[in-house]
Amino acid sequence: MPFLKYGSYRIRYELDGPEDAPVYVLVNGLTQYAELWTAYRDALVARHFRVATFDLLGQGASDKPALFIRQDDHVAALHLLMEELGKGPIFLGGISFGGLIALRYAIEHSQRLAGLVPMSCFAELPPQLYLLGNALRTGLILGGTSYLQDLLLPMNVSDQWLQPVLETLDKVKRQGWLINDVYALQNLMESFLDFQPLTLQLPQIGVPTMILNGEFDFLTPRALHETLRIHIPDSSLIIIPRAYHAFTLEKPALTADLLARFAEDVLAGRWQGKKAVYVAPEEAGGEIMPFPAGYDHLRAIPVQGMMR
Amino acid sequence: MSGFFGPLDTNGCVPAHQQTRVAAFLVSAHGALARQFAFALPLKLDSAWQTELNAQFYRETEIVSLLLRATSWTPDLALSYLVGSWEAAWLPKPIEGIPDQSLALAGDLAARAHAIHAGIRPAALLPVDANAHDPFVTALRRIEFESGRLLQAQILLLKGSNLSPFRDAVSVALEQRHTQVRELWADALKGVGISIREGNDRKS
Repeated sequence: MPFLKYGSYRIRYELDGPEDAPVYVLVNGLTQYAELWTAYRDALVARHFRVATFDLLGQGASDKPALFIRQDDHVAALHLLMEELGKGPIFLGGISFGGLIALRYAIEHSQRLAGLVPMSCFAELPPQLYLLGNALRTGLILGGTSYLQDLLLPMNVSDQWLQPVLETLDKVKRQGWLINDVYALQNLMESFLDFQPLTLQLPQIGVPTMILNGEFDFLTPRALHETLRIHIPDSSLIIIPRAYHAFTLEKPALTADLLARFAEDVLAGRWQGKKAVYVAPEEAGGEIMPFPAGYDHLRAIPVQGMMR
Repeated sequence: MSGFFGPLDTNGCVPAHQQTRVAAFLVSAHGALARQFAFALPLKLDSAWQTELNAQFYRETEIVSLLLRATSWTPDLALSYLVGSWEAAWLPKPIEGIPDQSLALAGDLAARAHAIHAGIRPAALLPVDANAHDPFVTALRRIEFESGRLLQAQILLLKGSNLSPFRDAVSVALEQRHTQVRELWADALKGVGISIREGNDRKS
């Protein structure tokens, strides 16, 4: 298990796939750990990518700073990993908290990337997300990791995913409970307390950017992704049908396929962002359809309106 | 060597020698915190924050009481020297670099309590098939749960305005206390056949 050295801390990472291949770097969400990308690693390596996964400071097998940790630390740790990856093209994807770290990295080091994939992501903390974040933090403080999982699971995945595991939910939660320490999770969450909006800096992201948003994402709804689409110059927004916030867990085959197609298009010079809006297929390999002309993609009902 | 208690007996209970070692460590750690909170607690509260001190004292006392009653104790010769090393580790050590000695001592107490409440996860040692109706199992779950709540007072103090001018010193002291507590915990467990995952203390 290789580690990077960040100050006195160690960052656990893993590299898979051919050394000379284009690289995909995948950044975890808040309660996640690197193994949750296993299906992506397998799918992307099979499509001739190299895949880098790692545990953020405070997660999984990486060191857990006792108290003081900032978002800057995560961006700096990600930069260390990037330096291990050679000079070839690098695509960076991140989900939720990890998407935010990826955005910040892309703002600061756009020249280092070939493409960016923010998923279930945000550049602002509007009141709903701010209050939800505070409530989740309070839930963690009062009820521990297990209660935080109880709050996040129904928000983040669909009934179709939950129904078959409902009777064995404790088993599903156990690995996340074992690997996440309350204090480390709280430190990660509190690194948001001094969050500054990124919107004005988004135009600095000069690389092709595919923004992925679940159709039913409750935690980071469409409007937050719209901010990314409007302000990142070479971007497109793709809506994942019937998906919630944690669609990377629920729909790995489809999402890995979208990641691979995006990178293949960029490398082949076919990518055209044009701030367009698309609807992803239901299954991997299906057609990515333009959002129907004349309808407002920010609404849940078919309201006719001008494309923003 | 396993990362969990066991092998469990036919009733799903943790072996007595493992119960004894773990309970002895926790009684020592939380008992020391209870004593020091008791010394710090005035008879008449002067400030609002002292209500938390009162809560901390009683929660620590509850943990000790719970363990004394819920554990299946058995003789453990190694405790004769282990307890001495544990108790020595809990002695106050004012945070270096803070000129106000009372603040330096309060910071150290908070750092030690943070390390114990955050770094010790006894319930994470329980295998899936541990008997949920066994009092020792319930006690460990309760201690881990309460530790997560108790931790908040330490976080508030360590990040508070009194200590913020000394953030680097506090950070160093806190990491040292975490390392110390994790090493003691890991060593205590190793003696009864349990190996916990590497923490920040085992750097290459």
